[in-house]
Amino acid sequence: MDLNYSADDRAFREKTRRWLEANTPTDDLKTLAERKAWHRKLYEAGYVGMLWPKEYGGWGATAMQQAIVQDEMARIGAPPAINGLGIGFIGPTIIVHGTEAQKQRYLKKMLTAEEIWCQLYSEPNAGSDLAGLKTRAEDAGDHFVVNGQKIWTSSGPIADWGILLCRTDPKAAKHKGISCVLLNMRQPGVEVRPLKQITGHSLFSEVFMTNARADKSDLIGKLDEGWAIAQTTLGYERGGNSLGRVTRYAIAFRQLVRATKQLRRNGRPLIEDPVVRAKMGRLYAELEVQRYAGLRVLSALNKGDSPGAASSITKLSYTEFEKRYYDTALEILGPWGQMMTAREEFEEIDTSSGEAGTWATAFLWARAGTIYSGSSEIQKNIIGERVLGLPKEVRADRLRS
Amino acid sequence: MDFSFTPDQTLLKNSARAFLDEHCKPATVRLLWDDARGESESMWKEMAQLGWLGLSLPEEHGGSGLGMVESALLLEELGRAAYPGPFWPTMLAAAAVTDHGTEVQKKRWLGAIATGEARAALALLDADLDWNPDAVATRADKTSTGWQLTGLKRYVAWGHVASVLLVPARTPDGVSLFLVEPGASGIRWTPMMNMDPGTRLADLTLDRVPVRSDDLLGAPGAAAPALHQLLRRGAVGAAAEMLGAARRCLDMAVGYAKVREQFGQPIGSFQAIRHKCADMLLETENSHSAVYYAAWALDAGAEDAGTATSIAKSYVGDASRKVCGEAIQVHGGIGFTWEYDLHMYFKRAKALEAQYGDADFHRELILADVAG
Repeated sequence: MDLNYSADDRAFREKTRRWLEANTPTDDLKTLAERKAWHRKLYEAGYVGMLWPKEYGGWGATAMQQAIVQDEMARIGAPPAINGLGIGFIGPTIIVHGTEAQKQRYLKKMLTAEEIWCQLYSEPNAGSDLAGLKTRAEDAGDHFVVNGQKIWTSSGPIADWGILLCRTDPKAAKHKGISCVLLNMRQPGVEVRPLKQITGHSLFSEVFMTNARADKSDLIGKLDEGWAIAQTTLGYERGGNSLGRVTRYAIAFRQLVRATKQLRRNGRPLIEDPVVRAKMGRLYAELEVQRYAGLRVLSALNKGDSPGAASSITKLSYTEFEKRYYDTALEILGPWGQMMTAREEFEEIDTSSGEAGTWATAFLWARAGTIYSGSSEIQKNIIGERVLGLPKEVRADRLRS
Repeated sequence: MDFSFTPDQTLLKNSARAFLDEHCKPATVRLLWDDARGESESMWKEMAQLGWLGLSLPEEHGGSGLGMVESALLLEELGRAAYPGPFWPTMLAAAAVTDHGTEVQKKRWLGAIATGEARAALALLDADLDWNPDAVATRADKTSTGWQLTGLKRYVAWGHVASVLLVPARTPDGVSLFLVEPGASGIRWTPMMNMDPGTRLADLTLDRVPVRSDDLLGAPGAAAPALHQLLRRGAVGAAAEMLGAARRCLDMAVGYAKVREQFGQPIGSFQAIRHKCADMLLETENSHSAVYYAAWALDAGAEDAGTATSIAKSYVGDASRKVCGEAIQVHGGIGFTWEYDLHMYFKRAKALEAQYGDADFHRELILADVAG
């Protein structure tokens, strides 16, 4: 047991920090072109696609190195890379399940953000119960004709391609007859309508497919065997953000300390109120425990252990903590914490979405974490069944099939 | 970066588990609960033979010179067994003697502790129940042969079996540490019954208790850093013990949820139970991270060692109470009975929550550290 960073990791951190200090844009990135240019620069420096194999344009780095890059980016407040879903989930899926032609066609442009990707999984009636999806792909010789609706699609309006789960055999049992196919988003049969979120932003959208075309050469894996592929896609979390995430919490905590030194209640600064102090002491303890847990995950990854279903514990832990964190911060900050526009004395903070905002936007954003990528309830089912070995529940859809 | 245990550490943990499974069964703990003394002389001797009592003592005094991580591993197993006895207070007093004692004091106590001949107790709390070492109110007045101590010490654990007491008291120079004989004249013991019968507590009234000048530990007025360090180690050790209690309860709850049937199916198949168990696992794993991070930080002298120990104590205190409590809930009525073993671990965790600084005390230390 040695929780010091290795000499190599320290040197890598130092090098990364120097690069970011010299290259991080000083102005906000406003256009997609500016964000793509920054992404490209990060990629060429070796800071995007770090875990991808070199033969597909990646850098073959360690999980620890990736975590260090994310940590340093959070520390300096660098804008994030784009195409996160593509690089984090979709690309690795193509690497594992795709054909050589698909790899050659898609992977490099995904890494460089020349093509932006989205994930077409959830539907209005298939959320946690994803296998209940109804989007239909009918065989039309060399291609599929796709009809249906997807929802909660991040990056929808800017996406060039999507990874689509669709039903290719409507007569088969629920988890069978689903296929995974790559869909060109830039075609007349695909319509993207942005959804306005509770934060007022529009980072996700609805996608309507009306006689859209997907080439059969873009089928991932075998026909009707897409469900297994979707399961691996959902399992690709590799701890890469486990340090950066906590650094953002820690930066926000320092801002909370400054705010409670400025704000006064009952004739004294908030931070002198013992009730406020107890709440803040608890928050700091919880955020540090997230860091310790992150180090434990990285240590296991370093040794080549795959966290598997245990990564559900990590996701459950930090998303639930985030809600408690911003709940408590707003409790402490009172009406001041609810402002949606930053006042002069009130610094912007990093929200869990990675976008800058006020405490209020962070508070609202925290509601998303326990819903996306498998809700807390789904994570607890996974932990119960696959980590603790508790018996499966009796489910009506299983009884039918 | 390596958060895993070394083969030696794993061996220590496994052998501790094996020993305690055999020699500290729930039935043994129950017998000790009913015993006037409350701890087992023979188990203590065996712990000495296993090298546990010298684990963290210097090699020249019969110890193995191992660190807080090893102590935490052992304490996690002791917590898992709800072991009743003065192991941890004795180790903490020995560490204070190691760090601050004269050669004579070390010779007198460390070897005797390593071989199991001596036990020690800590008298840290005064009448106003403030864990802050600066709050000590018990007085030490100078006499011709040394000192005399006057005051009230509250909730002293295992004083009735101790050969020596570690007593902080205030001299004109400030807070100082004294090694006091439990049977000295002027000491009056008032035993009391904790809800955990595996933690034997007593109040201690000191009325002009004579202490020889040789029994002053460290320089007069210089005890605060020693006491802070003792509290840090104490807090991490207590957190490790609470973690062990939580793990035992989690295992029992999951095991029960797999076999107990209601409505024609195992209760573990119901989300209400399964989700509870998932939350319990999350709290237990986070507690593991908190305990061993803090233990490592103390061993490594890390910059954040103080904060990390307070984090471990406050976080694991809450977490273990929740996990052990929810295990009772998963079991239903049987979990509330005296004959079922769950309450041993629930009570042990609860008793430790109030030792070495409670969560409120440690949260204030955390905030003072990071925010001023």
